[in-house]
Amino acid sequence: MKTARSIAWARRRVALGAFWQGYRRDREGLFGLVVLVVFATVAIAAPLLADAEGLSLTKATGPRLAPPSLAYPFGTDEDGRSVLTEVIWGSRISLLVGLAATVISMVIGTLVGIGSGHFRGFGGGVLGRLTEWFLVIPYLPLAIVLATVFPPDVPRIIAVIIVIGVTSWSGTARLIRAQTLSIEERPYLERARALGGGHWHQMSRHILPNVMPLVLANTTLTVSIAILAETTLSFLGLGDPLRMSWGKILDNAYSGDVITSGAWWWALFPGLAVVLVVRAFNMCGRAIERVLDPRLRELA
Amino acid sequence: MTTTTAGGGVRARRPRALPLRYVVRKTVTAFGTLVFVVIVNFFLFRVLPGDPAKAFSPRGRNADPNRLAEIRRDLGLGLPWHEQFWAYVKNLASFDLGVSWGQHAPVSRLIGERLWPTVLLSGTALLLAAGIGMWLGARAGWRHGSRLDRVSSSGAVTLYSTPEWLLGLVLLIVLSDLGVIPAAGMQNPLSELPPALDIAWHMVAPVTVLAVVYIAEYSLIMRSSMLDERYADYLTTARAKGLRDDLVMRRHALPNALLPSITLFFLTLGFVVSGAIGVETVFNWPGLGRLTYDALRGPDVPLLQGLFLTFSAGVILMNLVADLLYPLLDPRVRAS
Amino acid sequence: MISPARRLALAVTAALAALVLPAVPALAEDTPSPSAKTTFVLGIKQDIDSLNPYVGVVASAYEAYQLMYDYLTGSSEKDFSPVPGLAESWETSADGKTWTYHIRKGVKWSDGQDLTAKDVVYSFQRAIDGDTENGQYGNYVANITKVSATNDYTVVMETSEPSPSMLRLLVPILPEHTWSKVSGEDVGTFANDNAPVGSGPFKLVEAKKGQSYRFEANKQYWAGAPKIDELIIRVYADDAPLAQALRTGEVHMVNDISASVFESLMNQPNITTSDSKYSGFTELAYNVGAATVDGKAIGNGHPALKDKRVRLAIDHALDRNVLLDKVLRNHGTIASGVIPPIYADWHWNPGSAARAFDVAKANELLDQAGYPKGAGGVRAGPDGKKLEFRLFGRESSETSKKNVEYIRDWLKEIGITVTVSIMSEDQLTAVIGEGEYDMFEWGWVVEPDPDFQLSVFSCGQRSTEDGGEISAGWSDSFYCDESYDALYEKQKTILDPAARTAVIKEAQQHLYDNAVYSVLYYYNNFEAYRSDKFTGFVHQPSNGGSLVFQYGTYTYRNIAPVTNQTAQKRSLGGIALVIGVGAGLIALAGVAVVLFSRRRRVTADERE
Repeated sequence: MKTARSIAWARRRVALGAFWQGYRRDREGLFGLVVLVVFATVAIAAPLLADAEGLSLTKATGPRLAPPSLAYPFGTDEDGRSVLTEVIWGSRISLLVGLAATVISMVIGTLVGIGSGHFRGFGGGVLGRLTEWFLVIPYLPLAIVLATVFPPDVPRIIAVIIVIGVTSWSGTARLIRAQTLSIEERPYLERARALGGGHWHQMSRHILPNVMPLVLANTTLTVSIAILAETTLSFLGLGDPLRMSWGKILDNAYSGDVITSGAWWWALFPGLAVVLVVRAFNMCGRAIERVLDPRLRELA
Repeated sequence: MTTTTAGGGVRARRPRALPLRYVVRKTVTAFGTLVFVVIVNFFLFRVLPGDPAKAFSPRGRNADPNRLAEIRRDLGLGLPWHEQFWAYVKNLASFDLGVSWGQHAPVSRLIGERLWPTVLLSGTALLLAAGIGMWLGARAGWRHGSRLDRVSSSGAVTLYSTPEWLLGLVLLIVLSDLGVIPAAGMQNPLSELPPALDIAWHMVAPVTVLAVVYIAEYSLIMRSSMLDERYADYLTTARAKGLRDDLVMRRHALPNALLPSITLFFLTLGFVVSGAIGVETVFNWPGLGRLTYDALRGPDVPLLQGLFLTFSAGVILMNLVADLLYPLLDPRVRAS
Repeated sequence: MISPARRLALAVTAALAALVLPAVPALAEDTPSPSAKTTFVLGIKQDIDSLNPYVGVVASAYEAYQLMYDYLTGSSEKDFSPVPGLAESWETSADGKTWTYHIRKGVKWSDGQDLTAKDVVYSFQRAIDGDTENGQYGNYVANITKVSATNDYTVVMETSEPSPSMLRLLVPILPEHTWSKVSGEDVGTFANDNAPVGSGPFKLVEAKKGQSYRFEANKQYWAGAPKIDELIIRVYADDAPLAQALRTGEVHMVNDISASVFESLMNQPNITTSDSKYSGFTELAYNVGAATVDGKAIGNGHPALKDKRVRLAIDHALDRNVLLDKVLRNHGTIASGVIPPIYADWHWNPGSAARAFDVAKANELLDQAGYPKGAGGVRAGPDGKKLEFRLFGRESSETSKKNVEYIRDWLKEIGITVTVSIMSEDQLTAVIGEGEYDMFEWGWVVEPDPDFQLSVFSCGQRSTEDGGEISAGWSDSFYCDESYDALYEKQKTILDPAARTAVIKEAQQHLYDNAVYSVLYYYNNFEAYRSDKFTGFVHQPSNGGSLVFQYGTYTYRNIAPVTNQTAQKRSLGGIALVIGVGAGLIALAGVAVVLFSRRRRVTADERE
C-alpha cells in the first residue's frame, strides 16, 4: 500500500530523472558542469597537487617574479612562490567561502521568501518590507560596512562568509516570494488548510517542494555572486590575510606592484580562475532555467 | 488582461498624469527605506570598538585623557542610546555627518568634493553601456538563435562573470608600460591639453572597463525582455500583414521590450556603485569609490558611515525615479 | 514622429552633454598650463590629511607646513645641528631656564605685513593654551612657563627646567592677524586651504584634496628665493602609477616608494634613484608588563615576557640578515639601538657585544629560565602555561605582514607557538593601549632630538585610567624601570652636547641589554627623480640622507632646471587616441542612427 509520502517521492524521482534528461541535452549546461567538476577536484585534491609549504614565505625558494616556465607553469610572485601553487590552494578558500556563503544566503532567502509569501498580515508584511529594503541597499558598501564592524577576534574567514551571506539573500527572497504567492492560489493548498494543516505543514510539505526547482536554479547564480563577492572583498583587503584565496593573490599582486613590474602572470591566472568558475556556475544556472522553463526550452 | 491595439498599444501616447496617491505612496515607501538605512547605520556602528573622540585629538595616542573625556561628553557619548540616536538624526537633517578620523575634515565636505568625479565616470559609462547594451540585446533577442545572438550572449555571460576591477587591472598591466593610457588620476596639472580634454583623456580607460561589463549586463536584460516580446500574440497580426521583420521589431516589439529594460536600468544602479569602488581604486580616480577604499585604512568609521548613507540614498532615489517613470512609459501598467 | 529608439539615442546624447556641461565652469577656474614658469612636480603617496598645522599628522602634511611657514630654528642639512631660522641668534641664562631669541628683521608675511615677535608669541601661546593646538605641539611647549615679547624683535621664554629641546621647537610661526580669527572651537575643523598667509619659501595657491596642491615660490624669502617658480605636490594612491608618472615625466620626483618599484626604476635612462638613509627603524615589541601609570595591571599579556631571559632568547632566534635580504632586499641595515645611525652624534652601537643569531643559545636561555620543551615541542612554564604568544602585524604595511610570518616560523623552532593577527594601525593602537597583546611589529621615525624617542620607554608614558576608560600614552612596551627613568630625566636637562651624548648612549645600551624591543633594522627611504630635468638636490645629512621630507626645505629651494633640455616629446599618440576615440564614438552613434532610421518611408500599412 503506497503512502502519500512514498507516492510523492516516487513522483519526485521521476521529475528528477526527466530534469536530468533535459539537462544532459543542454550543451552549455554540460560544459559548465564539467568545468565545475574539474575545479572541485582540484580544490579537494590540493594537497596531492601542490605542496602546502609552497605557500609559506619563509620556505619559498623560487626566483622572484619569474615568467611562466616548465618549472613554474604559472610563474612566481615577488616572494618567489609558485603562482600555480597559490591558485590551486586558493581554490579551496574561494570555493569554500562561495559555497558556505551561498548556503547562508539561500537558507535566509528561502525562509524569508516563503514566509513573506505565505503569511498574511503583520509577519508577512515585515518580511516583505525587509526584502525590499535589502534589495535596494547597494551590496558592496553594505558588505564593506559589515566587514569593518566585525570584532577582530572573529576569524576573518568566518566574518567574510557571514557578510556575503547576509548581503545577498534578498534577490532569492524576492523570487521565492513571487513563486510562493502563485502557489498559494493553488487548490491543493486550500485543501490542505481545510484538512487542518498548520503553517509549518503547508510550508514544508507543499510550498517548499514546489519552490525547490526555482531554488536550485537560483543557487548556482548565487554561488557565482558569492565567489565574485569574496574575490572583490579580498582584493579590497577585507578578506582573511592569513589564508590564500584567488582574491588574496590579486590583492598581493596589486600591492606588490604587478603593474610596474609587468608580471602579467601574477594577475592573469588567478583572474582567469575566477572568471572560469563564475562563468561555469552562470552557465549551469542558465541551463537549469532553460530546462525548467518550458517556454525557454521551446526556443532553444 | 491587457488591452492591445493593432499597433501594440504604443499609439496611445498621450502624456499621462500620475495619480497623486501613487506618487505619495511611492515617495513614502522610499523614505521608509531611507529611515531603515539610517537606523541600520546608527546601530551597526555602536557595536564597533573605536573612539569618536579620536577625530578631535590630532595624535590619537597622545591625547590628554581629561581632554578626551571632555570631548566625549561634548559628543554625547555617555548619554543613553535613544538620546544619542535623536542627536544623530538631527545632525543628519542638517547634513552633518561627523568628522573624518583619518582626514580631520567634515565628512559631508569630503563627500561633496568627491561626488562629481564619480557621477562623471559612472554616469558616462552607464549611459554608453545602456545605449549600446540595449541595442545589442534587442538585436540578439530578436534574432534569437542566430550567430549574433549566440556570440554576443556568450561574450556577455563571460564579461558578466568578470569583476570590473579585474579587467582594469589587466588593462593597466598590459597598456601602462606602453604609455598608451595615463598612469592614474583625473587630471595632470602639467598637461598642455585644455582641462576638459585632459579629463576626457584620463577617463577613457576606466569608462571603457566599466562600460564593457555593464554592456554585457544590459544586453542580457534587454535580450530576455525582447525574447518575451518576440513571441507575443499581438505581433502575429503585424507579421501576418506582411510587414518587414525589422520594422516589426522597431515599431512594435522594441518599444515594449524597452520599457522594462529602462526601469531595470534604474534598479540595477546598485551594481554601478559597487563597480565604481573597484574601478576607481585601480585607476586612482578621485571619486567616492576611491574614498571608500582609503577609508578602509583605519578604518575611518565616520567616513564609511557617511559613504554608506550616500550610496544607499542615491540608489533609493534612483529606484523612486524608476517607480515614477514606469507607469508613465508603459501604457499597459496602471499606476494603482 | 520620431521612433522611440531614436528618442532614446537623443536622450542618451543629451544626458551625456548634461553630464559634461556642469564641469565646464569648474574647470574654467583652472589656471592656464604653465609654460614660461619653471614647475617642479613631486609625487607623494599619502595625501595631506589637513593643511591646518594644528591638525595634520601625516608626514606629507608636515612637509606642507615647512613649505608654508617658518620655525625659530632649523636643522643643518649636513648633520641636523641647530641653525638659525626666524631666530637669528639666541642666548640662554646661566641657569638655563631663560631663553632669549632675536627675531630676524625684514621678514614679511605673504600679504605684505611684517613678521614680528608678536606673531612668535602668539604662535607659542596658542600652542600652550589651546586644547587642539596643545594636543599637536604639547611636547615642545611642555616646559615653557612664560613666553613674551620684550620688543618687536625679541622673544623671551622661561622654562621650568633647563631644556636642550628649546633649540628644536618645531612649532610653526603663524600670523596673528589671520589666525586670531579662527576660534578654539573651529580650529579642529578649519581647513586652511584658501590662500593661507605664511612666511615660508612657498605659498599655497590651490588645493585639490586627494589630487594636487599647487605652491608658488616666495621670491622674497629671507633665506634666498627658490630657483623654481612653482611647486606642485601630486597625490597618487599607489606605487605603480607613481612610478609610471615619473617615467613619463608627469612628475619629476617620487618619494617613499616600495622596494620593488624602486628597483624597477634603477638603471632607467634619465632617472636617478637614491637609496636614502633614513631616520626610521622597525622593531618587534614586547608586552613587558602592561600597567597604568599608577601601577595597576591591565590587559592580558603573557607573564613569561616579563622575564628578560625570555625576551633575550627570542631576540637570539631572529635572523635579521634574512629579513634584510628577503623583506628589505638589502635596502637598510641591521639594527640594535633605538637611535638610527643617521644621527651620528647620538647613535650607539654595541659593536662586538652585539647579540648574534644563535638558535642554540636561544634554546639554552629558555631552558635556564625554566621553560622546558614539552610534548609536541612546545615549551611550558612551571605553572603549566604554554609559551603561546599573540603577534600582531599591520594591515597597511606589506613588510609588516611579511616580517610577522618569518618571526612566527622562527619562534616555532625554539618551541614557542605564535598566533598571528593582522589588523589596522588604529585597531592595533587601541589593543596596545589596553595591554591586550604579547608582541607586535611596528616602527618609529626618530626626530633629530632623541628626547621624545627615549621618553617612550619611561614609566610616565604608560596608559592612564580615567573613570574606567583606559587611554594610551606613548609607551607600547609598558617598560618601567627606575634606573632607566633616572637616565632619561638626566639627559633632559643637560645643555652641554658632549655630556648629554654620554647619557643618551647609556640609555640606549640599557634598553638593548634588557631587550625592551628587538629592534630589527633601520630601513632606507626610496626616492627617485628625473636627473635630465632638474639638478641641485640636497641630501640631509650630506652622506646619503633623504632628499625630501627632511627637517628643512633644502632641496626645494636649491633645485633648478637642467639647461639644454631636449624638447619635450609631446604625447602625440595620446592626443591622437583621444581624437580617435571621440571620432569612433561619433561614428558609432552615426551608425546606430542610420540603422535605426533605415527606410523611413512610412506606409499606411505600417502606421496601422
